[in-house]
Amino acid sequence: MSSPLPAAVVRSLREIVGRGHLITEPDRLVVYESDGLTAYRVPPRAVVLPASTEEVSRVVAVLHAANIAVIPRGAGTGLSGGALATAEGVVVGTARMNAILEIDASNRLARVQPGVINARLTEAAKPHGLYYAPDPSSQSTCTLGGNVAENSGGPHCLKYGVTSRYVTSLTVVLAHGRVVSLGGAGADPNASLDLVGLFVGSEGCFGIATEIEVRLLPIAEGVRTLLGIFDTMEAAGRAVTSIMGIGLLPAAMEIVDNATIRAVEASVFAAGYPIDAGAALIVEFDGTEAGLDADADRAEACCVQEGASAVQRAAEADHRAALWKGRKKAFGAMGRIAPDLLVQDATVPRTRLPEVLVRIAELGERYDLKIANVFHAGDGNLHPNILFDRLDLDELDRVERASKEIMALCVEVGGTITGEHGVGIDKRDYMPLVHGPEELAAMAAAKAVFDPDGLFNPDKVLPLRTQGTEPAAGAEA
Amino acid sequence: MTERVTTSLSDVVPEEALSLPSTDWGRFGPGANVVVCPSNVDEVAATIRWAGATGTRVVPIGTGRHTEGNEPSGDFLLLSTSRMASVQIYEPGDLTLTAEAGLGISALSKVTAENRQWLPFDPVDFPRRSLGGLGAAGQTGPLWTGYGELKNHILGMTVVCGDGRFLKLGGRVVKNVAGFDILRPVVGSRGALAVITSLTVRLFPRPVVDRLLVLEAKSLVDLVGPARAVAMASVLPASIVLVRERNVCQLLVRLHGAAETADADQRTVEAAAGVPFVAVDGGSARVLADSVRDIGGESDLALHAFVLPSRLRELLAIVNDMVDLNVCADVYRGSLRVSCAPEADADEIATRVRHGMERVAEDVVVERLPRGSTHSLGTSRVRSDAVLELERGVKRVFDAGNVLWDGRP
Ligand SMILES: Cc1cc2nc3c(=O)[nH]c(=O)nc-3n(C[C@H](O)[C@H](O)[C@H](O)COP(=O)(O)OP(=O)(O)OC[C@H]3O[C@@H](n4cnc5c(N)ncnc54)[C@H](O)[C@@H]3O)c2cc1C
Repeated sequence: MSSPLPAAVVRSLREIVGRGHLITEPDRLVVYESDGLTAYRVPPRAVVLPASTEEVSRVVAVLHAANIAVIPRGAGTGLSGGALATAEGVVVGTARMNAILEIDASNRLARVQPGVINARLTEAAKPHGLYYAPDPSSQSTCTLGGNVAENSGGPHCLKYGVTSRYVTSLTVVLAHGRVVSLGGAGADPNASLDLVGLFVGSEGCFGIATEIEVRLLPIAEGVRTLLGIFDTMEAAGRAVTSIMGIGLLPAAMEIVDNATIRAVEASVFAAGYPIDAGAALIVEFDGTEAGLDADADRAEACCVQEGASAVQRAAEADHRAALWKGRKKAFGAMGRIAPDLLVQDATVPRTRLPEVLVRIAELGERYDLKIANVFHAGDGNLHPNILFDRLDLDELDRVERASKEIMALCVEVGGTITGEHGVGIDKRDYMPLVHGPEELAAMAAAKAVFDPDGLFNPDKVLPLRTQGTEPAAGAEA
Repeated sequence: MTERVTTSLSDVVPEEALSLPSTDWGRFGPGANVVVCPSNVDEVAATIRWAGATGTRVVPIGTGRHTEGNEPSGDFLLLSTSRMASVQIYEPGDLTLTAEAGLGISALSKVTAENRQWLPFDPVDFPRRSLGGLGAAGQTGPLWTGYGELKNHILGMTVVCGDGRFLKLGGRVVKNVAGFDILRPVVGSRGALAVITSLTVRLFPRPVVDRLLVLEAKSLVDLVGPARAVAMASVLPASIVLVRERNVCQLLVRLHGAAETADADQRTVEAAAGVPFVAVDGGSARVLADSVRDIGGESDLALHAFVLPSRLRELLAIVNDMVDLNVCADVYRGSLRVSCAPEADADEIATRVRHGMERVAEDVVVERLPRGSTHSLGTSRVRSDAVLELERGVKRVFDAGNVLWDGRP
């Protein structure tokens, strides 16, 4: 249970953001007790919702002067507990900082506040023939600030890359409210150390991004979507390798497995995927209309060669949406078949996918757990989703052990423990699987450059031993 | 001096790792106390520790050919990765390659060409750079338009820090957010943070068609309209470059893709520019692209100016009538590289150009000057105190003892 904020702090915060934008009532704080990873819940001491860089700066200054930790928060869709509060910390949310400040079509840039929803930026850029490329599956709800903090990816990052490729400049509020501008699209990218690149992916531990400049891309002239149906996951995995092997670079390549197909088909989101299929592979090409059919033909040949029993193709938006439906609605559908879902996120070298998928299935059997795979196959970015009931403590224990083994397996074959969801609190203790003590110490030192007193998002990302702090109070796994 | 240093260095690295300073090692070659060419990471670390203990600055180099910036004033050694040049892991199916830092780009390209794969970057003199030098310089070249920046395609590195610490940064996979991205500031730091000993890079399939669309005009500014129109078109070319060399002005638009795609993109480009281009394909396109890439590579003078792309015309207007200057502009970035012919008076040219550019550009970087120039190397951009403080902090993370030379202008 957290203690109330000192009255002087409350007064100062109210003065800065206005009475209505400081939340201290316990029943309202419940909304902020977790992010998309609901296994961890800690109600914050308070939530502050500033509206500008200046307000963020003043809010941070007040809180840090009182030695109170700040937990930045966007939409709370994170899947690693990154926006989870600490009992004595205050959440600073960006919900009111949701203005698109500028679309500079002639330089293909946009400047936004951090609370802008990812999909809204693409909508706003559309009249200019432009869009924002990184497209997390949560894009209709997650914020650009959250994307920057997590260096988020998405289905189309196979061809277009992740958030860090698009961020050209940031205004950030650092410890004690210091405001710093980093980067700039018109400047020499090597004029100073790449501080923008270092800040992206810092999971709210370095400071708060309050203004973000990103590159936009021209909307592709045409799109072709293929849906290949396979008897086994292995065959679908081989098709992915074979498509890349012949030199094609699809915009997206996504796989859903049989467990997911069954969940989707049994739900209101039924997409018409055959329920006995071992896997469905979505392959999407975009770009100049003229070359798309030839690319799609070649990809289809790869699918058939690797044993696809059927391949559908779509060019029109409605038909394409239908092929994507089973992939896009997977998470929603899984909610129906188990009370809890752990969305695991790890990356392996693409060529190791078939082998890793077999071994994950074996792990599911060994731990008697239902594991459903929905993932960005082209990047080797796996999402084994473990279905469970957290009230069943024995099952919860098996989930944790299986989850750890999945991460260890991915590391063993040359991969890593998280491809896009971040470390947050969830994977903090698994960091030693991929990084040695020297690397972890260097990361801690990098955090200290931005946040010397450890007052931004404490206890996240780095194992507590590296941070030299005590375990997060109140965190329940 | 050279002898004393060499003698005690030979206690920590084998004799064959030591070389005499000379111009063979690039601009800083003659001034160095000694050149050390370790054959493994342990020798790199031993050299750096030795340097720290003896107050000798370390300047990491690949071949030394592309050393830029200011030379250290006191005792310094050149640490060359040239004897660390093996390919460690190449898995064509993953489109990734891990190699030691001293591997030359041309050697790397030979290995990857067997699988029709490549590293799609084109900074000046690309094939003669080392992989580590490329990462340390962080320069992509105009192909960033179609492929993104080099820093987005360096997946992992091993480095030795200023105190001899060995760090593994990043990994071998294309998506990786396991921890803070402390690899990123090393890219482009020109050896100021750490000596890069190996890198893992993302490769790309070689395009079926490599086409260069060429448009000539009498002056650079005549080409700005078409160039900007192409940059604003619905297709994204692999690169858009405006050049003037020996008073020949050309707009070069590079298209990569399947044959049908290249044909259709060419039509889109021509419609946007409102004029037909001359198309050059395949080997001839590559030869032309390579020669344009290397414009100014041997020049005594290298000035690099940066603006937002929409203001490129203003920058070009400054150099338009100075026909003795060679110019190469990356249209999609909004940057302009200026160099001069060997016989030209580089110092006088710098005086003429620099001031005008500084009025328009967000950054003017004087990268190279003739010896004895009255100008100084450096950037016109004033970094805020806060940024400088963060940079110093990052430097301390890697090299608290300031053993590694930060010669960035
Ligand atoms: C159904 C679903 C699908 C998803 N699909 C994907 C996917 O395809 N790809 C992917 O990468 N992720 C995916 N995610 C994860 C999540 O949506 C992303 O991590 C997203 O970027 C989080 O944004 P947010 O606004 O919700 O941030 P939050 O969850 O609020 O915060 C995330 C982290 O960012 C920090 N933060 C937030 N704003 C700022 C700021 N302005 N400055 C500094 N730090 C800040 C927080 O402290 C926290 O550490 C998915 C999530 C769900 C629920």
